[in-house]
Amino acid sequence: MRHGIWLAVLVLTAGPARADYPEVVRERILPGYAAFDAAAAALAAQSAETCAAEALRPAFQAAWDAWIAVSHLRFGPVEDEGRSLAIAFWPDPKALGAKAQKALLAAGPAVLAPESFAEQSVAARGFSGLERLLYPAAPFEADPCPLIRATADDLARMAHEVNEAWADGFADVVLTAGQPENTIYLSENEARQAVFTQIMTGLEFDKDQRLGRPLGTFDRPRPELAEARAAGRSLRHVALSLVALRDMTASLSPGAVRTMAAYDHAIALAEALDDPVFAGAAEPGSRLKIEILQQAIGAARDTALAEVAGALGVDLGFNAADGD
Amino acid sequence: MTSRRGFLAGLAALSLPRPGWADAGSPAYLAAGKSGEDHVLHGVDEAGESIFTIPLPGRGHAAAAHTGRPLAVAFARRPGTFALVLDCITGAVAHRLTPPGGRQFNGHGAFSADGALLMTSEVVADTSEGRIGLWETGGFARIGEWASGGIGPHDLKRLPDGRIVVANGGIRTDPKDRTKLNIAGMRPNLALLSADGALVDMAELPAGLHQNSIRHLALLADGVAFAMQWEGDPAEPVPQLGRWSPGAAPVLCPPVEAEMFTMRGYAGSIAAAGGKIAISSPKGGAVMIFSAEGAPLATHRRADVCGLAPLGADFMASDGAGNFWRATTDALLLLSRTAVAWDNHIVPVGKPV
Repeated sequence: MRHGIWLAVLVLTAGPARADYPEVVRERILPGYAAFDAAAAALAAQSAETCAAEALRPAFQAAWDAWIAVSHLRFGPVEDEGRSLAIAFWPDPKALGAKAQKALLAAGPAVLAPESFAEQSVAARGFSGLERLLYPAAPFEADPCPLIRATADDLARMAHEVNEAWADGFADVVLTAGQPENTIYLSENEARQAVFTQIMTGLEFDKDQRLGRPLGTFDRPRPELAEARAAGRSLRHVALSLVALRDMTASLSPGAVRTMAAYDHAIALAEALDDPVFAGAAEPGSRLKIEILQQAIGAARDTALAEVAGALGVDLGFNAADGD
Repeated sequence: MTSRRGFLAGLAALSLPRPGWADAGSPAYLAAGKSGEDHVLHGVDEAGESIFTIPLPGRGHAAAAHTGRPLAVAFARRPGTFALVLDCITGAVAHRLTPPGGRQFNGHGAFSADGALLMTSEVVADTSEGRIGLWETGGFARIGEWASGGIGPHDLKRLPDGRIVVANGGIRTDPKDRTKLNIAGMRPNLALLSADGALVDMAELPAGLHQNSIRHLALLADGVAFAMQWEGDPAEPVPQLGRWSPGAAPVLCPPVEAEMFTMRGYAGSIAAAGGKIAISSPKGGAVMIFSAEGAPLATHRRADVCGLAPLGADFMASDGAGNFWRATTDALLLLSRTAVAWDNHIVPVGKPV
């Protein structure tokens, strides 16, 4: 495999202090997707054995953990064929997922067959779809077992496709940035820029969506909008995401000491917060703690923009950051 | 004492037609950008190669090309306090346009077909009520204004029959810092004005989409295609493209479901060519191509892509990293690499706009 040769070259030529976008690919992205692939496969395998929600929940939680560690990556194969949406459709303010899933619950085996299921609404599938099936708010109108299996299989398929597509092709595309035949990344800095953009948007997603949605406004807090609330994972997603983003930043730019300190501060706040689904968003005292975490993530983002972007010669994009 | 050579040269000058775009190197497009710390306007050919460069005093947004004479009007970014009429042969500032008291330029402008009139999108600074400023093109004196038919007009396009379509974005902004003041109650519209500025028709978006600011336009055979920027909840899937034939209701053109958030609710430019429509999103890093009827055909990813213009039956696209691309239904094909970070728009020269 071509990427294997590339990695060998990098290992031989990179000194211990070297850090840049190839290290992000090698140390974070490829292992992250491999772990997600394995965890999603384990969940699908177990769903073939049993449909009992309680029996499936540990594998489901483990697979979701593995996804959150790579969920900030929004470039390359995960963006093809709507995979990132179909893997994790959240936020969903119009409850599109629940509506689409209701129709699937009553659907026959033909619709649930893999090829057909892959064409169903992205809103109904993936982790949020499985969460509704494994942590139901109300009894089902039909046996959920076929849909649980179809959703778990579909998730495993997508995890495997993303992992394979990175390992067998897209990693090469990133690692050959700037070489004449590369029409995706015309320079090394474009690859660096792409990786940096993932960090920025990942931190913004944690701050504005994962925390911002349940916080709502002081006058109208919306704790019921927290991500993965039924599965009790709202805060866990923020904490896991921050660790993954810190690690990715460390692989890209380990000398960014102020940024690392800002990450560590935010991670410490997340780990100290005793509010797994941000239920405290509605109470002034506990709300303040969530807001402080949110501010710490904003500070990490701003620090990374000042320190890492400056050191690497990247930015938010001339037009993307502007708008008119 | 008049030399014979001087006399003949003077005679030749009298008999020659006024300079045209050919005298400026026949650029196919105008594009603003940033080169190092300098803001510039380039004339560009269809291969994406620069033909001329003119310095700008600040970041430009869009430009308007005179229909016959090699004059470019460069508009400052909003809130625009000036526009420059540039001589594209010498690079000199031929005229500096300042909106009348209490008015601000709002990004775009268009010439009448005969080139005698320049129309500029403007707002009343205090209220963001839309105006179309009118300038004669001999000495570029202000000669009047029309109501744009809405709040916060941005792009405007002249139809072949001389009527004008205005994208009234609907957003009231602070006159000093562009802060948006009316997002909850904004109501964008498309306004059709007669050639003498009377409001002939007006169209609004369906309920629930009033926060989709209509900002940019491209001419179709039977009307306009329009590009929108969503100011509502980013988690709501909304279309970025619509079509409007005056007399009928606007038709929205959503992407395929798997791409419903690709543009991140934001279309920065639009163009129509070869029976297709293209929209770009620098925030989403993508160009989407639709049929002229609005059916999604392709999505091409490219970071910070924004400028779009017709290129034969395909599209010319530019990005903030300095590249020009040919966008076909199949792919983005690299045309040229430059050291200029290309700004929002590519403006065709010598084509109806």
